[in-house]
Amino acid sequence: MVDLALSQDLSASPIAARLHRFHAGDRNFRRIAFSCALVILAMFAGILWALIAGAWPAISAFGLPFIWTEIWNPVTQKFGGLAPIAGTLVTSFLAMLVAVPVGIGIAIFLTELCPRPLQRPIGIAVELLAGIPSIIYGIWGLFVLAPFLQQYVMPGVIAAFADIPVLSSLFAGPPYGIGVFTAALILSIMTIPFISAITRDVFETVPPVLKEATYGLGATIWEVQSKVVLPYARSGVVGGVMLALGRALGETMAVTFVIGNSHRVSSSLFAPGTTISASIANEFTEAVGDLYLPALVELGLLLFIVTFLVLATAQYMLYQLERRAGGRP
Amino acid sequence: MANNGAVKVAIKDLSFFYGDTKALKNITIPLYANKVTAFIGPSGCGKSTLLRVMNRIYELYPNQRAEGEVLLDGENILSRKLDVNMLRAKVGMVFQKPTPFPMTIYDNVAFGLQLYESLSRSEMEGRVEHALRRAALWDEVKDKLHASGTSLSGGQQQRLCIARSVAVKPELILLDEPCSALDPISTAKIEELINELSDDYTIVIVTHNMQQASRVSDHTAFMFLGELIEFGETEQIFTTPANKRTEDYITGRFG
Amino acid sequence: MNNQRYLRRRIRSAFFMGLSVVATVFGLSWLVLVLGTLLYEGLGGFDFRLFSEMTPAPGDDGGLLNAIMGSLMMNIFAVAVGTPIGIFAGTYLAEYGRHTKLAFVVRFVNDILLSAPSIVLGLFIYEIIVLPMGHFSAWAGSAVLATIVIPVVVRTTENMLLLIPNTLREAAAALGAPRAHVIKQVTWRAARAGIVTGVLLAIARISGETAPLLFTALNNQFWSLDPNAPMASLPVVIFQFAISPYRDWQQLAWSGALLITLTVLILSIIARVLEARTDQK
Repeated sequence: MVDLALSQDLSASPIAARLHRFHAGDRNFRRIAFSCALVILAMFAGILWALIAGAWPAISAFGLPFIWTEIWNPVTQKFGGLAPIAGTLVTSFLAMLVAVPVGIGIAIFLTELCPRPLQRPIGIAVELLAGIPSIIYGIWGLFVLAPFLQQYVMPGVIAAFADIPVLSSLFAGPPYGIGVFTAALILSIMTIPFISAITRDVFETVPPVLKEATYGLGATIWEVQSKVVLPYARSGVVGGVMLALGRALGETMAVTFVIGNSHRVSSSLFAPGTTISASIANEFTEAVGDLYLPALVELGLLLFIVTFLVLATAQYMLYQLERRAGGRP
Repeated sequence: MANNGAVKVAIKDLSFFYGDTKALKNITIPLYANKVTAFIGPSGCGKSTLLRVMNRIYELYPNQRAEGEVLLDGENILSRKLDVNMLRAKVGMVFQKPTPFPMTIYDNVAFGLQLYESLSRSEMEGRVEHALRRAALWDEVKDKLHASGTSLSGGQQQRLCIARSVAVKPELILLDEPCSALDPISTAKIEELINELSDDYTIVIVTHNMQQASRVSDHTAFMFLGELIEFGETEQIFTTPANKRTEDYITGRFG
Repeated sequence: MNNQRYLRRRIRSAFFMGLSVVATVFGLSWLVLVLGTLLYEGLGGFDFRLFSEMTPAPGDDGGLLNAIMGSLMMNIFAVAVGTPIGIFAGTYLAEYGRHTKLAFVVRFVNDILLSAPSIVLGLFIYEIIVLPMGHFSAWAGSAVLATIVIPVVVRTTENMLLLIPNTLREAAAALGAPRAHVIKQVTWRAARAGIVTGVLLAIARISGETAPLLFTALNNQFWSLDPNAPMASLPVVIFQFAISPYRDWQQLAWSGALLITLTVLILSIIARVLEARTDQK
């Protein structure tokens, strides 16, 4: 048995070497872990720097008006981001309009109405669906949804609203099949499982005793949902929705196939348009000229800033929910 | 009064702070060699805090510090010059909830041995077997040494933790409410174990179960609100406590 | 009791609950449609050639071998680089930096990167790798995939490590084990399944990523294992083939899409099974 007497001269014995190794090992390990944590920060800073550096020629050439200028001319090298920016905002907003109620509805169904044996399979199915890559939705949109809309839905809608003042310009022809509307629809279909999964997780943080007490007072299922569950989970649900919005804003492949890639802003939802990520995806490798690429990078920078703000807000709200769930007596 | 023998650990004027809060107030206690000393008292009295000073496990957390002296065989273990890892290799600890490592039973017991001793394969196996025997676990696991430590029952896991601590032949063994998560049969087995182990080891046990303290220990320290109220031979504490508060606690008037 | 009022409340409840059923049917039907079409169209082209022949010129027969290979290579590299960085960073957050300001900032930034548009990550790598190198390459493609892997692994590693009870760490430290030893031999081991799950999820995620590869690894019609050259990848090839006007290319796109989806689903299922098994313990 090794003598581990405390008072021995540590600089001499073999134990000393071992202890020294332990401490050196601890120091190195900690350093490595710390450096890797810094890598995260470096990545973020690097992204910001790279985007600004890459966009700089466009920023100095076009200035602030870039945001509201529609022109997109590779020949004269005059670029304005209005079409992609508007397209990004419109498609995401419309997608949320559909995906949020449907997604939350599915979450409510899963937590309240779904028969026990079906709960797990459907829940798992929803989560798996949330992981399907967006390119799948994109292809489906191009080959299935767009032709379908073009043939069966759009002509009807265009005709139906032809004489109604606002709606006629909102749903004006010709029926391309692809366009802002189709892109928004695909985006919403993609976002639904994501919102369901997050909302369901958020609902599960509601203490069952809260719901039971409310049922005990004779409340109906809907009343429990609307008056207890949703208010309690409010910041979590909003946070989840904002997270989904953040992702929708940056979504590329689902949208690129069906948006039509036109740098014109049109009042009609059935018209082709573009989003920031679609523009970058479609045009990057063929961008020639001093300002073309920088203009695309500037679009990327704007997208990064906007998604950052949305995601930061989402995080803040989800953090609030966590604190509440953890800190509740 | 019986001859208590040598003092293994002399705690002198020990105070402990969580941040600015003084959780232990100038504690002075002798812990006698090869005897079992119990710390008892109501929740929050500081008994676990006191236990955890003796292997400086509190240093894993920020804002916790100790002042005073704790002399193990004459050496102040609170000294900055002491290597805390080596101290912990000499002081074993068993926790309230059994903590088997996620590895085989054999590797669990060999964990401490591999850190500080260079043993051949057969020496290692010998030490592992010896430790498992001392923890009264050998017969139950000898055919499944390569099963996971987590596959054992609660009582067996706790005995595995004891074997793990005993394997490195520590100077002192600290037990922090080792039976509170166990059923009565496992508890009885472990209490029997403590009796046997005290022949070779100095043991300190924190327990909120007074009957256990009276069954198992030679000396008892009663603590309240961070102070040492009374310390003496177990029999004397439980039959003729000198302090009124001790008596109130023992007889269940508060707790 | 006011029966009239109660009846109205129950009708309202039934109405909204009915809506939730409608929502479920609506939402899930689209997804059934998408997956159904994928299966139908994709299976048609699923044969041995898919895995044994290169991407063809339009009109010729072929498969997706070089694309599959390229994806495999870049994914493996991305995981090999991103996983250790992610695990160590997650370890820092859970073991060393808990409750520190720095950890809070790193966690916050990491979660942003987790959901950030991957095309922006592509721009980032373009600027710092493709431009200095002067050409597209598999290095760049792997790098951008690594930047997607890292935040995922950081998040899951930190979460898993935080779940490990402190007494386990204390028990190891109480035997005299130095910190690094405790983390490596006990804490990581205890969180092993969870960390692996995180890596699997990261792989599933990068398997379908297209946009960032478009201007980092670009594409390659031929068989190439040269990391310095542009490299084909399954998602990019699918993109190129799907928007083309050639029927046989489109068929390959469907089959490739089905292949990716199957990969992602299988990985996710394995991850979930692992997760469920550790919950049982």
